[in-house]
Amino acid sequence: MLDSLLLGAGQIFTLSTLVFMFLGSIAGIIAAAIPGFTVTMAIILTLPLTFAMPPLQGIAVMLSVYVGGYTGGLISAALLGIPGTPSAMATTFDAFPMARAGQPGRALSLGVWASFFGTLISTAVLIVAAPPLAIIAVKLGPWEYFSLIVFALTIIASLVASSLLRGLMAGAIGLAISTVGPDPMMGRPRFDFGVEMLAPGLPFLVVLIGIFAISQLVSEVEDARAVRSGTALTTRDIDFQNWAVIREIVMRPVNLVRSSVVGVLVGALPGAGGSIANLLAYDQAKRASKTPEKFGTGIPEGVVASEAGNSATAGGGLIPMIALGIPGSAVDAILMASLMVHGISVGPRLIMDHADLVYGMFIAMVVASLMMLVVCLASMRLFLRVTEIPKWAIVPAVIVCCVVGSFALNNRVTDLYLLGFIGLAGYALKSLDYPLAPLVLGVILGPIAETNLRRALQTDADWTVFLTRPVSLLLLVAAVLSVAWAIWKHKKSSLPNETG
Amino acid sequence: MTTGPETAADKRGEAGEVARLLSYVAILAVSAWLFFEAGSLPTSRWDVLGAGAFPQLVFGVLALLALAAIVGALRGLRPAALADFGAATLDWLKRRYLVVALLALFGIYLAVLPLAGFSPATFVFLLAAQFLLLPRRPRTIAVALVLAVVFSFGLNELFASVFNVFLPRGGF
Repeated sequence: MLDSLLLGAGQIFTLSTLVFMFLGSIAGIIAAAIPGFTVTMAIILTLPLTFAMPPLQGIAVMLSVYVGGYTGGLISAALLGIPGTPSAMATTFDAFPMARAGQPGRALSLGVWASFFGTLISTAVLIVAAPPLAIIAVKLGPWEYFSLIVFALTIIASLVASSLLRGLMAGAIGLAISTVGPDPMMGRPRFDFGVEMLAPGLPFLVVLIGIFAISQLVSEVEDARAVRSGTALTTRDIDFQNWAVIREIVMRPVNLVRSSVVGVLVGALPGAGGSIANLLAYDQAKRASKTPEKFGTGIPEGVVASEAGNSATAGGGLIPMIALGIPGSAVDAILMASLMVHGISVGPRLIMDHADLVYGMFIAMVVASLMMLVVCLASMRLFLRVTEIPKWAIVPAVIVCCVVGSFALNNRVTDLYLLGFIGLAGYALKSLDYPLAPLVLGVILGPIAETNLRRALQTDADWTVFLTRPVSLLLLVAAVLSVAWAIWKHKKSSLPNETG
Repeated sequence: MTTGPETAADKRGEAGEVARLLSYVAILAVSAWLFFEAGSLPTSRWDVLGAGAFPQLVFGVLALLALAAIVGALRGLRPAALADFGAATLDWLKRRYLVVALLALFGIYLAVLPLAGFSPATFVFLLAAQFLLLPRRPRTIAVALVLAVVFSFGLNELFASVFNVFLPRGGF
């Protein structure tokens, strides 16, 4: 372990990696500070820039964007009351009233320090939990793996969708997209209909950029009036009071640790990222508080809970990715894809075959959180200007970056046509209220699910083996329970409407 | 149950439900077609399932989900909602005229890009898209021009010289 740690550290602590990581931190904070631009989009745009880098350097840069992005959403949440990213939704509840009450510096400092501590706690959990989990995961057979993927897709559908059926359909559409092109076992062509563009299959990254980035960018211009106007910011002198804020957080560690643990656990669940963690951590903090009525009026506990909760999902989400090869969120799916671009197979053997890479990632997380802290505290006033960039300037420019990213992957013009089709389909699905996260997970998990299903049945053609192996059965039962829970939740929420 | 007169928002909500119903029908039709298409994929003696089995499983599940969604949607819809759908869709599109125009520009850009080359096509796309969206003032027009140059010719130069990625040069 020590050898791998030192090897990983040797690759992270090089001048070029640290410089790129620093730039990544700044880019993540800037991107997430712009309302409407998510952490996922920032990571997608960074990806093509990392193709030419060594794998660990590339992923370290993306982790910097990731960690920076979770904090950047705080800026517009605190000062404008608009969450820069969905993961900063609960931050607006208390940070915005605090800023309006004349303490914008305190609100920002609380958020930045809570994000820093949240990321550190989640990284510690990641370092402790991922290696033993991977050792167990190596012993899983194809039956368990297939069942794990079924569970991952049902739980994400039940967590993120307003309608369970549409969530499940989105996951199945993702799996269906993954079946286009050569089959993963024998390489037999499927569903290309003689079209050259479809013959090699649909590249995951192009699908991802089209589904997430293009659809989001296009939906940003739906409101013509908002596109053509700007929003004024609070840019008067801001006093950050760092020492007072650190004391405020550390003297009340229970809220910080509880919110971070919530973030880690939510992050480790497939599909449930920062957008759920911040609300859940905020809710838990409110329930545990002796003065819950003060939440929403601008109290520090609310800011700390939300920001520690969303930032802790970064480490939590990496646990299933590193240990099982199952991404915890769309962002983790992109990180996973970036390793695959470099020919590194992501699965439970990752930590055994590429231990230096994994331990390097752990170190990169710590370095990234330190960089985020330094960047935020040193230049927060400058970042405040970022939220003033109008949509008319940024939307077309980012669309061009998406085009470049899609082309740079394979140098194929046909991928650009695909990007157009998928962007349009993504916007249609988004408008029709289909959740996009299960779809993306379906695309990346499809070939893994198919390979494991076929391997399982090659070993034993009996389908009931999926039910007679205890771990596989447990996962399938968990999948059924997650669907049942979502149905129960839906019925419960619609009950007052029916009776009222 | 709605007791008062229908508001525009109610009608828009119902139109959304109709649009979702149509999407379920489209998904059902496509998945049923591809389910049978997958059945015609050849099997192998070395592989119990063959290349078509997993797609059949996926499209089968998708078709069943779409069917369940159709049944659920039909139960909650008024017949009059279908009649209002055309007008509501037009209204939806009119309110999103910027989206429609931006998507049209994006489509033209992607079609022209391989012929004209990355830099000229991107420059024109950026100018057109920004002119579509921006408030027309001398300062914003100047900023748009600078952005168009930076993200077309500048980006091309950056990728070629730093990352060794050569963006399409055009066929003319």
